[in-house]
Amino acid sequence: MTENVQQAEEQVEELEEIDLTAANEVIDKYIDIHGNLMPVLQGIQEAYGYIPEATVHLAAERLNVYASQIYGVLTFYAQFHLKPRGKYIIRVCMGTACHVKGAGRIGDAIVERLGISHAETTEDLKFTAEYVACIGACGMAPVIMVNDATYGSITVQKTAEVIEKYKAMD
Amino acid sequence: MVNLTIDGKQITTAKTSTIYEAAKENGIYIPVLCYAKKLLPYGACRICLVEVEQMKGRLIPSCTTPVTEGMVVTTTSDEINKVRKTVLEFLLVNHVVDCPVCDKGGECDLQDLTYEYEVVTNRFQGEKFDLPTDEVNPLIERNMNRCVLCGKCVRVCDEVVGYGSYSFINRGFETKIATAFDRGLNCEFCGQCVSMCPVGAILPRPFKFKARPWQLKDVDTVCGYCGNGCTVTLGVKDNQVQTIRFNEDTGVNHGNLCVRGRFGYSYVNDATRLTKPLIRKGGELREASWDEALVTIAEKFKAAGKDLGIISGARLTNEELLLLKRISSALGTHHLDHSGGECYQGLTAGLNETMGISASTGTFPQVEKCNAILAIRSDFYETHPVFGMVINQAIRLNDAQLSVIADKRGKLSKLPNARTLMHKPGCEINMINALCQVIIAEGLAKTDDLQGLAELTKALADYTPETVAKMVGADAEAIKKTARELAGAKNAAIVVAYGLPYTAHSKEIAIAASNLALLTGIAGREGSGLYLCGEKANSQGAIDLQITPGPAGLGAQQMLNSAAEGRLPVLYLVGEDPVVTYPDQGLVKKALEKSFLVVQDLFLTDSAKYADVVLPAASFTEKDGTFTNAERRIQRLRAGIKSPGEAKSDFVVFQSLLNKLQKTAPAAPAAAFGELTGEVAGYAGIVYEQIGPQGEVWGGETLAPLKKVLIPVAGNEPLQAEYQLLVGSALYHSGSVSTRSKGPMSVCPEPYIELGRDDAVTLNVKTGDMIQLKAAGVTIQSKAKVDNRLPKGVIFAPYHFAGLGLNRIYTGQSVIAVEPSKL
Repeated sequence: MTENVQQAEEQVEELEEIDLTAANEVIDKYIDIHGNLMPVLQGIQEAYGYIPEATVHLAAERLNVYASQIYGVLTFYAQFHLKPRGKYIIRVCMGTACHVKGAGRIGDAIVERLGISHAETTEDLKFTAEYVACIGACGMAPVIMVNDATYGSITVQKTAEVIEKYKAMD
Repeated sequence: MVNLTIDGKQITTAKTSTIYEAAKENGIYIPVLCYAKKLLPYGACRICLVEVEQMKGRLIPSCTTPVTEGMVVTTTSDEINKVRKTVLEFLLVNHVVDCPVCDKGGECDLQDLTYEYEVVTNRFQGEKFDLPTDEVNPLIERNMNRCVLCGKCVRVCDEVVGYGSYSFINRGFETKIATAFDRGLNCEFCGQCVSMCPVGAILPRPFKFKARPWQLKDVDTVCGYCGNGCTVTLGVKDNQVQTIRFNEDTGVNHGNLCVRGRFGYSYVNDATRLTKPLIRKGGELREASWDEALVTIAEKFKAAGKDLGIISGARLTNEELLLLKRISSALGTHHLDHSGGECYQGLTAGLNETMGISASTGTFPQVEKCNAILAIRSDFYETHPVFGMVINQAIRLNDAQLSVIADKRGKLSKLPNARTLMHKPGCEINMINALCQVIIAEGLAKTDDLQGLAELTKALADYTPETVAKMVGADAEAIKKTARELAGAKNAAIVVAYGLPYTAHSKEIAIAASNLALLTGIAGREGSGLYLCGEKANSQGAIDLQITPGPAGLGAQQMLNSAAEGRLPVLYLVGEDPVVTYPDQGLVKKALEKSFLVVQDLFLTDSAKYADVVLPAASFTEKDGTFTNAERRIQRLRAGIKSPGEAKSDFVVFQSLLNKLQKTAPAAPAAAFGELTGEVAGYAGIVYEQIGPQGEVWGGETLAPLKKVLIPVAGNEPLQAEYQLLVGSALYHSGSVSTRSKGPMSVCPEPYIELGRDDAVTLNVKTGDMIQLKAAGVTIQSKAKVDNRLPKGVIFAPYHFAGLGLNRIYTGQSVIAVEPSKL
């Protein structure tokens, strides 16, 4: 085996530290259903907050689907995440109305405060930033969401306040 | 049949044809990028658009549209050309046009189409792809900047190979072909994707910057590795095999190859090839002339006479084997054999006793149409990878149920819906007996004209699935299901491989398998078959020509025994390296030391180092002749290059030897084949010059058994040992010659001892750690390889490597009790 190939294998082995019990339970639930890949992946994401690589290999093995194919599905749908995500997901609307009203500055403010841009997560796994197309609240543009809470007519100053509020929370 | 008109031409074609296929059959050209004969229709590239009068208003993709009665098709018009040109413009927006340094230049479909449609300027502009090239593995380079997203690599790796390396990832403009998690490619390196890529996105690395395609001379010949008999097309330049070319129109393999066939050619160009005869003088092997060497040998052979032992490899051509047989009869010796441990006895003794034949009963293309397939031993994919792909196609295209009687998991177990019937090592016969028992007990047997049914029924009383399952750790329900499927299937196949690492119980396993084949009616039924596949390129030819001990003659193992005791004065090894590959290395060495040894080979092998005379031989790429593959297909080899130095083909060497023995020999392989058609049953009527690209199958597509006798064979008690070693083949190698080839060696360079995860934890061993195995007072050591295909307590080691000395503890057993420990 070449050195590189061996490294790749070791890399995969390192990833297998994750407790696969939850993933196995999800797979058990859907294993006999035709077209089970999507619900399995959604279930795994619900259990782990993202899709750990080891669970992909587990699903590949148990569902008899190639890992490459699962990876294709995971990268096709925006709903799946391959890296751990923060406890609080900050969605910054970049739709037309928000864009006109200065959504770019809001994004910059988050980078400044948390050091994270689109699809990035803080090291403490507390925040993830996501720039989204439109969240359907153009009337209160610019708008951000933190998990399920919506903050409209937001400014750079208000963004800082919102972040501080969540920082203080667990 | 359906009638339609294409470009004004009246055409009649099969109902299942697409417009593209109908056009192609009739010599009408339609350009394609994503179409491939062996893959399911896909319709990704839109280059093949045509006009259909009945479907006006839009252009129709000809590669996915089935023909219908009365269809009127136009393949070229201003409108069509405009659209095709636009498609090319789109593709060229992102494609890096680095044709001067692209190895595909000259045979690139995109380049050819761009030229054909005169895409001189591009109306569209956009970013060029700037993706890193995947150079992680040594054999296959992927440059995704050249990719046109035809998906052929994705599809062939799934539909044909069953490995699934690739997928489309991301979406829209970002879409590209990638492996799981977009890592470097790490697969079985069969290179099917290389052969399918219409552009320079996937290329063979060893061929980089070696030659332009038009500089290569293409020579169709037969692969020299396993008994599958794949046609390989040598790409020759400067008297060297530069690469193996892709040709999906020839051979039984439709252009499919494995890592050995596609990348294992470099040994023929190797600088360490023997180029001159060597004679031992003053204790050392020194270069000598051919005449001196042949005179010395002829004298020794004549003096030994009936006490000469001849052991041949199974990679000699039929014509060479015929001459070797002539040599043995000229000298009056019956000590003639072709493989260690007489592993071929499944054919010569087993099938011969039950069915009166010594060959597989069906052909590979029939397996593709089977509904149920039973593979005995999981190593079948490793020994015959391209046959494994045929099995995969049967599963995908025909919904075949594959069951594998296995002591470890392997590639076959991973194929869709494969059922792995796990059992303790060395107990294959128990499992096959249990299948037979179910078929008889449930009244599923096709008992017409079977002899010995009563005796077999009685003998199988102890082999109910429950008893066997308990004894060998198997699943009784799975056995029953498999038995019912095999008995009920319209077409079914039973496949088993034999070879040097599988010498134990070879006769008994074959008898058990033929009992099953007879009870299910598989043997001799059109479309079904029992396949006993030899390890080497011409294993079947060696059986057909009876390169086996004559009356009172010794087999290979007995010859070595006898020589070790000083009772066989002269040994002649042709293309065999028993020191590395035969069971019981200690015995082999002693035998070679004690006898006057003549070795004829490509390299100064470990065995040749013991020789008194060494003759330099020619590889399969340097000779004409025929091989007979594991399905009885006789195919022609064609010389592509000249042998290095003074090396000669075995044919020429045997001719000279026969002359020295005052015998005549046929002048050329064609003449020799003519003679052997008169001597070998089944070969009669086959004309050398008329053997076409698909070969000639002797005995017909389905070989009928000459008799149908059921013979009870006893199973084996599982070995009682905490750790048990299995010896076998690794996918990347075949025999020992592949260990001299850069391709296989770059992905599997050294011996290893494979452990399951549980045992690795117990022994505190990780991949790469050195471990040792102790058996009967002998220890061998190697790097460990840990994975999840071995059950607890089972250890595996491949037999190809000289360095491991595996045959110091392997003496022909089916399973060896060992004590492993970390070093």
